[in-house]
Amino acid sequence: MSRSRLFQPFTVRNRRTVALILLMFALYSTLSVALSIRATGRSRHRAVVVQVAARQRTLAERYVTDVLLARDGMPSDPASTASLLSESADVLINGGEAPAVDGDDDETDLPPADGAVVRLQLRQAQLLVHDLIDTGNAVLAKESVDSLPERASEDITTDDPVQRLRILSAMTSNVSLNVARTIAVTTDENIAALIRLQMVLGAVGVLAALLLGWALIAAIRRQTAHFRSLVTASTDLVLVFDNNGCRYASQSVTSMVGKSEADLRGRAFAQFVHDNDQTMVQLACLRGQPREFIFRMRNRLGEWRDLEGHLTDLREDRQVRGVVLNARDITERVKLEEELTRHAFHDGLTGLANRALFRDRLDQALARSTRASSPFAVLLVDLDSFKEVNDSLGHDAGDRLLQEVARRFAGAIRVSDTLARLGGDEFVLLLDDGREADAEAAARRLLASLAEPVSVAGRDLTLGASIGIALHAGGPGDSEDLLRHADVAMYAAKEAGGGQSQVFRDAMGRELGEMLGLQHELRQGLQRGEFVVHYQPAIAIDTRAVIGVEALVRWQSPTRGLVPPDRFIPVAEASGLIHGLGEFVLQTACMQASQWGADGLLPENFVTWVNVSGKQLSAGHFSAIVRRALHAAQLDPSRLGLEVTETAIVTEGPSGERARDELKEIHDLGVLVALDDFGTGFSSLGQLRRFPIDVIKVDRSFIQGAEHDAKDAAITANVASLAHALGLVAVAEGIETERQLTLAHEFGCDVAQGYLFARPAPAHEVSALLAEALTVADTRPTS
Amino acid sequence: MVLGQVNAVGKRRCPWAAVALVAVIITAACGSSEPAAQGTAVKVVESDFEIKVQTNVTAGDVVLMVHNQGPDDHELIVVPAPVGELPMRGSGLTVAEESFKPEPLGVLEPGAPGSDRRLQLHLQPGRYVLFCNMSGHYLGGMHETLVAS
Repeated sequence: MSRSRLFQPFTVRNRRTVALILLMFALYSTLSVALSIRATGRSRHRAVVVQVAARQRTLAERYVTDVLLARDGMPSDPASTASLLSESADVLINGGEAPAVDGDDDETDLPPADGAVVRLQLRQAQLLVHDLIDTGNAVLAKESVDSLPERASEDITTDDPVQRLRILSAMTSNVSLNVARTIAVTTDENIAALIRLQMVLGAVGVLAALLLGWALIAAIRRQTAHFRSLVTASTDLVLVFDNNGCRYASQSVTSMVGKSEADLRGRAFAQFVHDNDQTMVQLACLRGQPREFIFRMRNRLGEWRDLEGHLTDLREDRQVRGVVLNARDITERVKLEEELTRHAFHDGLTGLANRALFRDRLDQALARSTRASSPFAVLLVDLDSFKEVNDSLGHDAGDRLLQEVARRFAGAIRVSDTLARLGGDEFVLLLDDGREADAEAAARRLLASLAEPVSVAGRDLTLGASIGIALHAGGPGDSEDLLRHADVAMYAAKEAGGGQSQVFRDAMGRELGEMLGLQHELRQGLQRGEFVVHYQPAIAIDTRAVIGVEALVRWQSPTRGLVPPDRFIPVAEASGLIHGLGEFVLQTACMQASQWGADGLLPENFVTWVNVSGKQLSAGHFSAIVRRALHAAQLDPSRLGLEVTETAIVTEGPSGERARDELKEIHDLGVLVALDDFGTGFSSLGQLRRFPIDVIKVDRSFIQGAEHDAKDAAITANVASLAHALGLVAVAEGIETERQLTLAHEFGCDVAQGYLFARPAPAHEVSALLAEALTVADTRPTS
Repeated sequence: MVLGQVNAVGKRRCPWAAVALVAVIITAACGSSEPAAQGTAVKVVESDFEIKVQTNVTAGDVVLMVHNQGPDDHELIVVPAPVGELPMRGSGLTVAEESFKPEPLGVLEPGAPGSDRRLQLHLQPGRYVLFCNMSGHYLGGMHETLVAS
């Protein structure tokens, strides 16, 4: 249905129906009037017949009088009366001109008698008239009446001619009256029949008209309802405008703005339209042009809704006489479009700009800087220990933490600055016109915004952040370089302990560049299997027997050659690669120990020692990793020892606490624990009692220094005696000469380790050594 | 006008009320039936100018089934048969009905030719005269005797 049709409730079909009803009424009226005219005409004729028939009665009585007067010689004219009687009787039956009586009546034209009963009665009257005249003639002639015929089946018993005349006259006048009455009754019946017919016709007409009218109204109602539902029930807004402004507003409009239609009439409608759109909408609704436009309207809640309007110019349409505005709420669509645009340039989690938008802004800033030599700064922010939150509290908590951080950062910056999330826990801030002082101030604000603990998953977390600042003095530049510089500076800040900012310097770039390169290669190396585990035997000083090995990781880099652990372990720890690397060493060592055991190469109480980083201990779940490694290798826990540095377990705070708990749990499994590099940390000797420790390894510097330095010698002796006092085993590391071995023995060390006995070697070499040692042990009793 | 009426009736009312109204009008235009009479049926035929009826009838409740063959209209009056002739009025043309006290046993007013009428009577054993008292008809031969026993 076209829009213009909406305003024409009468369709062609319905107009035909109306015409049909009118035609039927006309036919009925014509029929009714024709019937009435015919009935009236017949009634008029009958009235004349009645009049003539009634006159017969008078004539019959007059005839008797005339006959009796004539018989007695008085002047009278019975023959004339008889003639009138006879003629009238004929005319009444057959029609024709009724004779006038004494000039009283005009000659009357009669139709032939109508109706069987009337004709029979008139016939009887005629017969009686003839009998009457015969009897009259007999009276006048003074003849007998015995032989006279009785035409009308009468059975008159009297012989008196006058009595017979009177009887026949009475009968004639009686039948004449009856004819008149019959005609009257017939007329009444005809009129009643006519009335009935009229009533039935009328009733049928009314019924038909009602049914047709009802059907028509139902059709109109359906159509109107259809129209109404299109206009009112639809969510589309429908408005009609004329020169005086709004003339009609559909229900959807009134319910949208929360005003009655009267409040929208005329110029009032414009107040609901956005200021910027008012003129356009008013002009369009006045002119009917343009046909389509988008505008904003305020709804009952005061929100601006985006509407798509279509105009239909129906000013020439007599049904409408106005410009019809159909408008559809497209707010959701507009929002969706904005949302899609936003998604392309915004981070879904935090709503901040994403990497793409940031790069775009950065390129713009560079272009501006190239033109105007304006400075700007890039601040790269990385949350400290975010990974731990994510690991321990789950990703949902991590996401909420990032959202809160984003909210705080957004509150700490200027509107003109661009804050973006690059991914993970990495944020970046672009400071337009930012010099070093501005950038450092911004960094301080960001750090300050994290001072308040963040409440996530029912825990209050205090987060730090490391911020790297890259400054661009002005002029051309490269966005990649800027981001890399900020990254390097951020690493420097992290290296310096986190919770601070660092401005990028060229020197920093070289150092950190080297470190980052190493980190990259480490990761690759781990994946490519460039790491191997070597084993260095430990010797019981008194028996010179091999009682254990220390597993040491070696990195055979294809580009760097053999890289010493002190070169790559710190990098692995800083990057988190230590976890994967540590697990690799642990598993390999356990498998090897198990293999040796299966090969029957291991003496009693032989322990394989594995170094564990403090990072591994404090990350949590390390006891589970150890259990898994033992289980996988089918290794008795007492065959495994873990070496930890004292810094790893004496650290204060949650991470130190966690490390101690983990260590306790592992120790409870039966795994031995050695305190490595003892003497280099800050732990007091008294603290040793608190830790689950079986072995103390005296740092090589003390053993090697003891040869020349009395102080070192004293320390070593003290440590060893303390160890013994606590029921621990003391191990001397780094024994390279017989002299050092002798000293270690003198100091009271139980076990020695060093090049004097064996360098760290691949597993197969150690296997050979172990086999040889077994042979020595076997042969010793015989030697 | 019809549309206006329907609108006035109501929104969704169907026109069956109007149909019923029309049906009532049509029914009212037609006639109604008479109550039935009880007793021994006796056929009486009137014509110009004669009455035909059986001579004897069992006394008690009697219903005269009167048919007028016409062509004239006729009455039917029933009276106990007197000794001799029926008394006549002064004109000598009609029977003096009023002389029967308190009134004639049965009277049917003039009936049109072709009509059928009923006259309910309770007849004691005896003789009765049936006649038409329209002017001249009695003398013209319209009388008959009925014996109830």
